[in-house]
Amino acid sequence: MIQVSFALLMVGLTAAQALAAESNKTLFPAVQPGASTLTVYSTTDLAAIKPLIEDFQKSSPDVSIDYNEYLTNELNALASEACRKQEPLGDLLLSSSVDQLLKLANDGCAAAHTSPETLRVAEWANWRDEVFGFTYEPAVFVYNRSKVPPAEVPRTHVELADLLRERLNYYRGRVGTYDIRLSGIGYLLAFNDARQTTTVFGRLLESMARASAVARCCTGEILDEVAKGNLYIGYNMLGSYAYDAAQRHPELGVVVPRDYTLVLSRGALIPKGAQRSDLGARFLDYLLSERGQSVARTNAFYFTESGELPPGVDGPQNLKESGVAQPIRIGPALLAVQDRAQRQRFIEDWSQSLIELNSPAWTRE
Amino acid sequence: MRPEVLRHGPSLFGRLARRISFVLFIGAALLVSAAWYYAETAANKAYDRLLVGAALQMAESLSVEDGILTARLPTSAFELLGLADRDRIFYRVIDTHGQTLTGYDDLKTPTPLERVQDPLSVEEGVYKGEPVRIAHATRILADPAVSGRAYVIVAQTNEARLALTRELTLRATILVFIMSLLAFAGAMLAIRYALQPVEQLGTEVRGRDPHDLTPVTVDVPRELDPFVSSINHFMGRLNERVDLLQRFIADAAHQIRTPLTALTAQIDLLGTGKLDKAGRQHFNRVKERTSELSRLTNQLLSHAMVIHRADSVQLEPISLVDVARRAYRVAIPVTVDPDIVISFEAPDERPFVLGDAVSLREAIVNVIDNALRHGTDQRLEVRVRASGTQAFVEVEDDGPGIPPESWEKATQRFATSKSHEGSSGLGFAIAQEVANAHGGTLSFRARDEKGFTVVLTLPLFKGVAK
Repeated sequence: MIQVSFALLMVGLTAAQALAAESNKTLFPAVQPGASTLTVYSTTDLAAIKPLIEDFQKSSPDVSIDYNEYLTNELNALASEACRKQEPLGDLLLSSSVDQLLKLANDGCAAAHTSPETLRVAEWANWRDEVFGFTYEPAVFVYNRSKVPPAEVPRTHVELADLLRERLNYYRGRVGTYDIRLSGIGYLLAFNDARQTTTVFGRLLESMARASAVARCCTGEILDEVAKGNLYIGYNMLGSYAYDAAQRHPELGVVVPRDYTLVLSRGALIPKGAQRSDLGARFLDYLLSERGQSVARTNAFYFTESGELPPGVDGPQNLKESGVAQPIRIGPALLAVQDRAQRQRFIEDWSQSLIELNSPAWTRE
Repeated sequence: MRPEVLRHGPSLFGRLARRISFVLFIGAALLVSAAWYYAETAANKAYDRLLVGAALQMAESLSVEDGILTARLPTSAFELLGLADRDRIFYRVIDTHGQTLTGYDDLKTPTPLERVQDPLSVEEGVYKGEPVRIAHATRILADPAVSGRAYVIVAQTNEARLALTRELTLRATILVFIMSLLAFAGAMLAIRYALQPVEQLGTEVRGRDPHDLTPVTVDVPRELDPFVSSINHFMGRLNERVDLLQRFIADAAHQIRTPLTALTAQIDLLGTGKLDKAGRQHFNRVKERTSELSRLTNQLLSHAMVIHRADSVQLEPISLVDVARRAYRVAIPVTVDPDIVISFEAPDERPFVLGDAVSLREAIVNVIDNALRHGTDQRLEVRVRASGTQAFVEVEDDGPGIPPESWEKATQRFATSKSHEGSSGLGFAIAQEVANAHGGTLSFRARDEKGFTVVLTLPLFKGVAK
């Protein structure tokens, strides 16, 4: 039964891919004529990447950028296929699902790149000079200020689990999280949650299942629902998107958990044999550079490794110094995350506990 | 001229240096190769342990759940492999039916699994076009539902191994290089030290007075003894020859003197009375020549004596003024031209020198005699003086003197340009011989308005005279 539904889901996904390939393409024309084109395949929301691309084109006016946006799993499927056929996909891949990028690099699909900028990358965010982490994004809770009374705002994973247990009826069907079957980043975060030494995640998952938590493909959708008040709490949202949404919707609150906070570094990879790998490298260097990081801090991803939390975010003063930050290391350990047997079983377990239980009527389309 | 003769052939030092550096180079090359081999072995051993450890962890994670073999690959296994932080990792889990459970479907061990006996193995291989180390672990399952052998294959690229090998080899190479350098420097110092006696011997032999034919007495290592004794043997023989020659000359001069004295007497007796003008002229020339001959004979004898005394007579402190005065009396004949003003001048203090009175007197006599015969026109002055650590005997005349370009020649035997005037040319030679034997010199002072001066310089005796 599960298998069948899974297969159906995959079919749907492939169809969605074909559709997405057409609709998510954006061209940033070069400032100067006679330009060369850099093709970027990315999972980053257009809104977040736009300030970076525009600033990059100020320093490189001769480059136009063909920006293609996908869901993490779609991008991974496309890139793996392209690598297998030895037809490199674009000139630069950006994905929040670094485990997938790491698997691609391990399979020999990545070209190494070193420059003064890549030397600045923290050791945990660089693998073989092939996969680089260029952002610092904590996984946060979001909540709707009008629906969650201040006293109930959960500040740790335990508090969230307890809250859902105590106020089960109030929060039933009102908690949203990633659907890890659709979202690579959701899977990566859930897998790392499960690796924590405490049993908190098990309890939380159980509480969320009992509270009929809603699973969605993407951060954006959940953030919208929370902003509208359809959902009250969003779990494991990417900090950058959450903060961006909170700036647009004042009723959204962002909490950086104080017991532990998974920190994801969005990955970048230059495909082996890319036609304009030089341009890919140029944009990558820009993303890693002082200037790119500063634009990212103010306009795109908001959080940084060393700095303080952005204003209005509830959490420890400084993520790194407080010691709650748990960066997801870009290294071979991510291969375990990408193991297909592992993935299949993890998703099955997760689906069984979360999805198979009764979902509220309004979530079934 | 003398030392350069030895420098033409390749130096002993250079030959030894070349051979030693060659041996050291070969040795260093061998050591570096060995270091590379050991480093590679060590690196492989170290990283093979990680590989096998990871394979075992993965095999351990296999379990049968609801009758199905499942693999829960532990993250720690990948983290273990991740210790080689730049290496790519490939793995494959094979179930009891030979089907891939998870991982890379086309990963194989170089030796087919069915033929591998050991439950664990590590081999070299190639995967995805890259050289890899491939390990496998076997898990034997005895579940009623699933039984048989399941395998885990783990492969890893070689970057970390190569890096470690390179690092270890580099360090060993630096050590070997430093050691070779030290050994080379040490060897060079040792060779230099060992060759020092040869140098010393050379300096000693080179620095010798040409007349010194006594045996060489330098402390040399045993190995150089034959060389030194050959030199000494040769010197001894040469010395004998020279002695023989000198004795022969002295004997000859002595033998000639007796008939010569008789001849002179006969000539004196002969008288000039019966001779015509031309005959008288011939007679006078014969007389002159005879006296010249007798003077030469005397000088030869005197020379032989001076040489003999230089070798045999013990030097003692003597008053230079006394010696010079005596020589002055001997040298000035009674028949000297009364128009010539002759003077002897001595300081109040009496300078002493360490010397042989007889030889010194002979030397001074020769110098005065020479001045009297060839230099003096109207004035001859003999002076003794002392200054600093040296004593001087100066013989000054108002003659034309010797031009500076002939000074060197003047002290050589029979080398005077004035032989037609009856000079034998031995006078300055004798004087110089004596001066040298006393550690002094014979020199000339160029002509000034007063005259030309011959100076015999001797070291002043500083001790207390008897």
